[in-house]
Amino acid sequence: MEKTVRLKRRGGGRWAQHLTSWLIMLPSLVLFAFFLWGPLLQSIQMSFYTTRNINLEKFVWLNNYISIFKSPEFWTAFTNTLLYTAWSLLIGFLIPIGMALVIGETTRAKGFFRTASYIPNILPGLAAIILYTAFFSAEKTGVINIILSWFGVEPQQYLSEMGLVIPLVVAISTWKGAGATALIYMAGLSGVNPELYEAATIDGAGIWKRIRHITLPAIFNLGSTLLILQIISIFQILYEPMVLTKGGPNNASLSLMLQMWRYAFGGRMEFGKAAATGVIITLILLVFTAVYNIVNRRKTDWEA
Amino acid sequence: MKDYAFKKPPPRTGVIRDFDSKSVSVKVGLVVIYFLCALIALVSLFPVVWAFLAGFKDLEEFMSSTSFTPQTIDFGVYAHTWSQLKIYNNYLNSFYHVAGSVVCALIFNGLLAYGLAILKPKGYKIASSLVMLSLLMPATISLVPLFINIQHLHLGGFFTPLWLAAGANAFYVVLFRQFFESFPSSIIEASRIDGCSSLKTFSRIVLPLSKPICVVVAIYAINGAWSDFLLPYLILGQSDWETVMVRLYTFSTQQTVNSDDLMRAVVFAMIPPIILFFVFQKKLTENVVVSGIKG
Repeated sequence: MEKTVRLKRRGGGRWAQHLTSWLIMLPSLVLFAFFLWGPLLQSIQMSFYTTRNINLEKFVWLNNYISIFKSPEFWTAFTNTLLYTAWSLLIGFLIPIGMALVIGETTRAKGFFRTASYIPNILPGLAAIILYTAFFSAEKTGVINIILSWFGVEPQQYLSEMGLVIPLVVAISTWKGAGATALIYMAGLSGVNPELYEAATIDGAGIWKRIRHITLPAIFNLGSTLLILQIISIFQILYEPMVLTKGGPNNASLSLMLQMWRYAFGGRMEFGKAAATGVIITLILLVFTAVYNIVNRRKTDWEA
Repeated sequence: MKDYAFKKPPPRTGVIRDFDSKSVSVKVGLVVIYFLCALIALVSLFPVVWAFLAGFKDLEEFMSSTSFTPQTIDFGVYAHTWSQLKIYNNYLNSFYHVAGSVVCALIFNGLLAYGLAILKPKGYKIASSLVMLSLLMPATISLVPLFINIQHLHLGGFFTPLWLAAGANAFYVVLFRQFFESFPSSIIEASRIDGCSSLKTFSRIVLPLSKPICVVVAIYAINGAWSDFLLPYLILGQSDWETVMVRLYTFSTQQTVNSDDLMRAVVFAMIPPIILFFVFQKKLTENVVVSGIKG
């Protein structure tokens, strides 16, 4: 008799415990809802409305989307964003891998190389971009122009060159992030069993063959994860072109996010269109992630 | 230095093994590798060093000199910008922003992770997957509705929304959670049997054991709050509470500031993160690795 009572009491206590546990998490969950989940749902809602000041005004079905798709700026921003992605895959994806391989081979001053390449990552992004504005300045005092003048090259106007501006922005963000990414690869490589290399050597594999058949496969999974994360982040590129070139010259560096910012905070206060642009970006990223997942699953099925 | 150079190098740990290093082509390859590493270090550090040096130039020299090094190293130029543009005000504001953000980041994310990793009440998996989902969500997209909500609640113009925003960071939750999950469950059980409530277990047992992870999250929160400028610009712009980054952004858009002063402002913006980095260097680089692989 006593036993059952005790059990019941415990059961009741358990419910109270679940409740207090949820109460402990509640404030944080409210913050998550306010800062992340709510706004995401709201941007979907808002994308179907026109706004006046900061209030929703009228439900307009897909009108925001239609007028966005009709605006040539959107398509410029869209192709530019694809260009950003392509360049960042070309520059930003391979450089950290190369860095990790090269720094991993050093035995002396390894710590220094790692630290040095990591430092750009801790600098505030805004400060770095302003710094590079001076670097690429069209004057003869611009740092790149000074360096080129040693070789007799006339001062160039990098940031007003339409074809050059996107690769430059990507190069700057690679400069900033590559060291940190390389560090992740190095950690992945440190997990490779050295006996593998020795066994391969006995089997007659040279250095290149060892890289090809041991090192690169070892970081393949890590690389594909980092690749998708990189695509997601470069797709949201915003403040770099905003500060460096203000989207110019002639919208040559305008990104989708910057277009969204312009709708909302560029003096137009078209929050509905801004939200619609945001939703479009999210949908594109969802497609990317889904494709990545499918490809990845196929691959593992294959291997298994 | 000479002594060091003659010391036997540590064993090779990369693709190239000790038995390779005898052949000439490998030796040449190693020279190339060291050259490339030196180049990486140079490219990484040069812009930063250049900014510090360029800061010593006055306007005329900044606009005309094609030399990387300034004519004179006079800290007075920096001091002048510091006081004339009242950057100390922005430093103070940034300090408030950072302090509040760290407190919120530790308390709210820590408590949530405690719930998800240790308490695990019924249905916690829903909350857990929602948090993990926000790790993948494009965060900047919520900027527009978030800004509007903050305006509706009349929270603009002060740090409150920025502080609280640091309390909702999925990445910090993941860091805390991974750490908490490594606790042996017997410790938590023991404290429960001794009659500690959930909150007491947190404050008496979990928190004191979590100093390492708190330090890591705090460093991230400091750097994040210091460097952030989009939301701070929307919320604090044109108020008395402009942080260093907000000020820097206004400088860069309005062009009311001389370019030599702007360069010094950039340097002022870079100094605290660099100091933070050198103090906590090991912690930062180690944890990038851990979180990068697991997350």
